[in-house]
Amino acid sequence: MTKFIIKRLLSIFPTLLIVITICFFLVRMAPGGPFDLEKTLPKVIQDNMKKKYHMDEPLWKQYGRYVTDLVFKLDFGPSYRYQDHDVSYYIGKSLPNSAMLGIIALSLAVFLGVGVGIISALKQNTLADYIPMSIAVIGISVPNFVVGPVLMYYLALKWQWLPTSGWIMEGGPKTIIMPAITLSLVFFAYIARLSRSSLLEVLRSDYIRTARAKGLSGRVVIFKHALKGAMLPVVSYLGPAFSFIITGSVVVESIFRVPGLAKFFVQSALNRDYTLLLGALIIYSSILMVANFVVDVAYSFIDPRISYK
Amino acid sequence: MNTQEKNNSQPVNEFNQPIKGVSLNLDAWRRLKKNKMAIGGLFVVLFYILIASLAFIPGFPIHSYDKIILDHQHLPPSLTKTAGDLLYEKTEKKLSAIAKKRGRESLNEEEIQELKDLRHQIENETMEEDGKTIKVHQRRYLFGTDYHGRDMLARIVFGSQVSIGIGIVGTLTAMLIGITIGSIAGYSGGRTDYFLVRFIDIMYSLPYMILVIIFMAMFKSDNQIQRIINLYIAIAMVSWLTMARIVRGQFISLKNSEFVEAARSIGASKTHIIIRHILPNTLGIIIVFSTLSFPQFILAEAFLSFLGLGISAPFASWGSLISDAVEGMDLFPWRLFFPAAAMTIFLFAMNFLGDGLRDAFDPQSKNRL
Repeated sequence: MTKFIIKRLLSIFPTLLIVITICFFLVRMAPGGPFDLEKTLPKVIQDNMKKKYHMDEPLWKQYGRYVTDLVFKLDFGPSYRYQDHDVSYYIGKSLPNSAMLGIIALSLAVFLGVGVGIISALKQNTLADYIPMSIAVIGISVPNFVVGPVLMYYLALKWQWLPTSGWIMEGGPKTIIMPAITLSLVFFAYIARLSRSSLLEVLRSDYIRTARAKGLSGRVVIFKHALKGAMLPVVSYLGPAFSFIITGSVVVESIFRVPGLAKFFVQSALNRDYTLLLGALIIYSSILMVANFVVDVAYSFIDPRISYK
Repeated sequence: MNTQEKNNSQPVNEFNQPIKGVSLNLDAWRRLKKNKMAIGGLFVVLFYILIASLAFIPGFPIHSYDKIILDHQHLPPSLTKTAGDLLYEKTEKKLSAIAKKRGRESLNEEEIQELKDLRHQIENETMEEDGKTIKVHQRRYLFGTDYHGRDMLARIVFGSQVSIGIGIVGTLTAMLIGITIGSIAGYSGGRTDYFLVRFIDIMYSLPYMILVIIFMAMFKSDNQIQRIINLYIAIAMVSWLTMARIVRGQFISLKNSEFVEAARSIGASKTHIIIRHILPNTLGIIIVFSTLSFPQFILAEAFLSFLGLGISAPFASWGSLISDAVEGMDLFPWRLFFPAAAMTIFLFAMNFLGDGLRDAFDPQSKNRL
């Protein structure tokens, strides 16, 4: 088991290196550069700026410099567009906001989704099953960039219950409600349907019949026996869910003007701000890979049938 | 003589009636027909595709999607009133609001004259379109107009051509690449399989939607056609991974089965076995998965267009229409609701159809959602 965990942990690094390499060269392939401003600078100044950021060197040398700085000093380099601070500063400032939104949305989705899934499975074919499951179908079909503006139209503009945009620092905790709902709706829907169907499946299995035959109470059968088996698909869905949360946050953050990391993707790609873009990308890829790792390990703990040798 | 021989060789039951074989696909179709939601979804999808393809025909009774009529800016949707009436109401409301602000109960001479002029203009102004002279203010906008006075209905129909087109192209590309790679990996096994699977695994662990965003932003071009091509490339890059995995899994489980063994023993070639024997048996799963992934491509396109990286005006897709509408949605909510509804209904129908197909092909599906 320990061997599997260590091996799995170590496999993150080569994948991350591949990601960095692909991104580094993909980003440089595009025409234009960070110093192509609207006002063209004199050639001497442009050359000096390129020299300052080592952009006059051949590409492989720049790549080597970037990777060594990153690995040994954890330094993402200077931002090419924003002169005041370097990339680590911008990431450090915006990552907590994104992380908070993501964690709240994910926990909302998991707890509500599993809860609703259990209730609908136990009350199969009653109103307590149909109503949440119809909401779940809506949640799956309606994309978040429709949910966001529609929520904003009703809750913020028409009924004025919530602020349209902003973030905790200025607007208070109310500001997080709409982004969190918008971001979590799809995952809530998936998790609810997943846990419902897998719980139904497990409830029909032999070991549940045995547990019932032994005379255990319904509560014990469901919470101690059935739920553990039923949670397996939900746990394995968390890996992809993480990556969708990250993608979804790009849209949600731009609708509700959340000062998070996601805005750097579009903005810095358009600005050709290579280092900032790469920094944000590396952070998200690492989060994704660590999340997948945690899911894999958790899975092997829950499911005794899986043995990693 | 020949036909009679054929008839004789057909299997018959005890009443001497020929027995019709029930194939797997026929069986699935029967199950699908019983699922009302899925059939409803199928009809909705067919309706959308019908409208979208009819709109390519020049004589289709719909306004132009990119003709700018500045007088008709932001007209609300209406079934009965013409654009002229709405314009007149709008101006009258505006003028009386101004009058009230200045402390007057009724309109003054000048303003009444302005309204009269407007009425005259509405009744007489004409416009050239497709070589015909039409009374421009007699038009009706069922879904309202946008910020340039373009008909929302026409834009939504045009948008569905783009969105559904991207869905179809994405699905076909995913099928083509996915089936090819998946069958090569699954059938040959060994080292080829190992490397292909490794490659797919690595691609999976990338935050690929983010990579697509970056790709689109980096190669953003002002040429609309180039943009649509980029969108296709970006979506096709990542679309085939899951398909390849599924096809590979099917191939591995089928390649050692008896009928493949039999084909091999009579000397069938590799390509023949793959195309004529294994692929037809995986067709069900391929159809199901394609239907389920079709809305994903539409969503991906809408997502990119929403971020301003995909299609933009004067072209339209569902995503770009929604994106355009977010600004000013408190004043002109119809610009948001109609495209959003058009897209949501289609996705709904597609999801029901996909679920129904999956249940039909695999009634004992374990990972049914």
